[in-house]
Amino acid sequence: MPFEFYEALGLEPKLALDVEDLRRRFYQRSRESHPDLAGSEAEDRMALLNDAFRTLRDPVLRAQYFLQQNGIELSKDVPPELLEEVFELNMALEEIRGGDESALPQLEGARNRFAGMQKEIDLELEAIGARVDSGDKTALEQVRSALNRRKYISNLLRDVDKELNVHLSN
Amino acid sequence: MAYSNKVLDHYNNPRNVGSLDKSDPNVGTGMVGAPECGDVMKLQVKVNPETGVIEDAKFKTFGCGSAIASSSLATEWLRGKTVDEALEIKNTDIVNELSLPPVKIHCSVLAEDAIKAAIGDYKKKAASKNQSVGVNA
Repeated sequence: MPFEFYEALGLEPKLALDVEDLRRRFYQRSRESHPDLAGSEAEDRMALLNDAFRTLRDPVLRAQYFLQQNGIELSKDVPPELLEEVFELNMALEEIRGGDESALPQLEGARNRFAGMQKEIDLELEAIGARVDSGDKTALEQVRSALNRRKYISNLLRDVDKELNVHLSN
Repeated sequence: MAYSNKVLDHYNNPRNVGSLDKSDPNVGTGMVGAPECGDVMKLQVKVNPETGVIEDAKFKTFGCGSAIASSSLATEWLRGKTVDEALEIKNTDIVNELSLPPVKIHCSVLAEDAIKAAIGDYKKKAASKNQSVGVNA
């Protein structure tokens, strides 16, 4: 069933959600369908509620799920400038892994820039989400574009942080 | 999941790693990426403008073994082909040659995209060059 995570928590499919309200609904419904209270057929229900809560409480996972339920998958579409930056940063990472620490300042600078970009994308997602919720279906494509970029950046930040941790702890 | 011997060979001894001068009018550059896995692939071709034959091809890929092997193989295949022949290379050719498993097919798609982007960039450069000297392409 499409949007079953929303349905499980008694919500209309919207990109913007009140997380406190979500939490209350989750606890309420969890009590009602706890396996000890409602028998073994409630286990499936509990699993669904867990998945629904975990997905919907996170704005990025929620947006990804929302797109998916609209039949839209993430794509390879990212702006060429971002690809260039990702490439350059990977070059710096490779040099540092090879023992050349002269690229460390570049890496730290890039880390901060990418972290900033990620925050901007999160704000952008919120703004586009509001448009989607008010019925603007064309904004869905922009949600996808924002998520594509965000995915790239978060993968990269993970790699960069791993490398910076190694070098800062030395 | 184990990598095939051919993938391992390209991964351990990648062919044609490096870069060509991006500003050279005879060099086409393709930069593609896969947000899901964070891979990024740069592939470049140097074309003889008289014959349309690809004389050199270089790549640099940050990604998994299959992505590196796919782009390494692509540069091997590109050398000596005309730009039009190069556009005939399909990701399925790469899949077959490297025996890529289904979960790694997207790596071969990335390599095909990189080829198309590099050739596209070269053609764009060639067209604007012809225009600027007043020759009809």
